[in-house]
Amino acid sequence: MNKENFETRSIDYMSGAMSEEEKRDFMKFLDENPEYTDQFDELARTWKMINVLDTPEPSSKMDEAFFEMLSGEVEKMNKKNGWETLMEGLMMVFKPQLAYGILLLGIGLGVGYYMNSSDNTNSTQNIVSNQETENVRQKLVLTLLEQPSANQRLQGVSEANKFEDVDEMVIKALLQTLNNDSNVNVRLAAIESLTNYVDKPLVRQGLVKSIPNQESPILQITLANLMVALQEKASIEPFKQLLKEKQLDTTVQKKIENSIESII
Amino acid sequence: MQDLTDNALMLKVKNGDLDKLGLLYERHKKRLFGFFYNLGNNPSVSEDLVQNVFVRILKYRGSYIGEGAFTAWMFRMARNVNYDYHKKASKENISTGVSPEDVKAGTEDHINEEIEKKGNTVLLKQALAKLPEEKRELLILSKYRELKFSEIAQIVGCTENAAKVRVHRALKELRTIFSQLEIA
Repeated sequence: MNKENFETRSIDYMSGAMSEEEKRDFMKFLDENPEYTDQFDELARTWKMINVLDTPEPSSKMDEAFFEMLSGEVEKMNKKNGWETLMEGLMMVFKPQLAYGILLLGIGLGVGYYMNSSDNTNSTQNIVSNQETENVRQKLVLTLLEQPSANQRLQGVSEANKFEDVDEMVIKALLQTLNNDSNVNVRLAAIESLTNYVDKPLVRQGLVKSIPNQESPILQITLANLMVALQEKASIEPFKQLLKEKQLDTTVQKKIENSIESII
Repeated sequence: MQDLTDNALMLKVKNGDLDKLGLLYERHKKRLFGFFYNLGNNPSVSEDLVQNVFVRILKYRGSYIGEGAFTAWMFRMARNVNYDYHKKASKENISTGVSPEDVKAGTEDHINEEIEKKGNTVLLKQALAKLPEEKRELLILSKYRELKFSEIAQIVGCTENAAKVRVHRALKELRTIFSQLEIA
C-alpha cells in the first residue's frame, strides 16, 4: 500500500465508507505497519475532535428572517406573474404579423379617408357642374323651342323633360308652346312634358288656361284626361266655355262632358 | 416519498412552487449554520450567511438541473457565499470570526476536565482558524456524515480520491497546528 492509498483508505475507514472486509484488511495492514499506525491514531484523534466540535443552535431570528424573505419572494413572484402575463398579452398583440396587419389597416383607412374627402370635393364639383349643365340645358330648351323646325321644337320639349328642378322660365316657355305652337305634335309633347311638373301651381293654372285655346281634338282629349286625373275643379269653367264657343268633334264633346261630370 | 427528496423539492421550487423552499430550509439550516460557524464565523454572521445561501438558491433556481445531490449544489453556493462575504469583509476591514481576546478569556482557567475539554475546543477552533481556507472548508464538509466523498468532490471540484487525500492532509496539518498551540 503506497502513501496515497493509505491516505484515501484511512479516510474511508474513518468516514465509515468501508465494508467489513475492507475494514479488516485495513486493520491488518495497520498491524503489520506500525509506522502507519501512529499516523492513523493521530489522524483519528483529530478527526474525532472535529466531529465532536459543537455547534450552537441557530436562533429563532434566523427562521423569522428566512420566512419573511420567502413570503416576500412568493409575493413578488405572484406580482411578477401578473406582469408577465400582461407582457405576454402585449407581445401577442404586437406580433409582427398583427403589427403589419394593423399597419395595412391604418394605411387603408388613411387612403379611404383621403379618397372620401376628395370625393366630397368631387361631389361639390358635381353639384357645380350639374348646375352648369342645368343652365346650359335651360338655354338650349329656350333656344330650341324658338326654332322654326317642329322637329327641333320637339327636341326642345323632350330636353325639358330632363330637368331635375324645373325653372319658371322653362315652364312659361313650355306653356307658351302649348298655347301657340303651330304643330300639334309639339303641343302634345309640351303637355306630356308639363305633366312631370303638375305639382307646381303655375303648371296647373297654365294647363287650365290653355284649355279654351286648343283646336286639335287629340289635344282637347288629352287635356280632358289629364284634368280628370288631376281632379282639377278649376278646369270645369274652361271646358264649359270650350263646349259653348267651339264646334267640337262629337267624340270630343262627349268626352269633355264625361270629364266635367267626373271632375264634379 | 419520491416527491419529498431534496432534488424533487428543489425542482418544484425551480418551477415556481417557492413555498417548498421552506422544507429545504428546515432540513438543512442546522448543517449550513454549523458549516459557517465552524468555518470561524460568529453565530450572528453565520445566521446571515445561511439566509444569503437561500436567497441565492432562489435567485439561481433556474440553473438547478437536478443532476447530482442537492446538498452538493447547496454547499457549493454556501462556499461562494462565505467566500464573497469574507472578500467584502476584508475590504471593509470587519472582524468576522471569533476574536483572539474571546479565545484567550476561554483558555485562561481550565481547572477541571470539563474546562479542559472546552479549552481543547477553543484550541481546535484556533487551529482551524489558522488552517488555510480551502482545507478548513474540506474538513468541515467531511464532518457531515450525510455528504459522501463523491459529493464533497463535486462541491470543491476535484475527483473523489483527490478529495480524500486532501482531507487526510488537512487533518494532518490541523493536528500539527493544534499541537503547536497546545505547547505554546
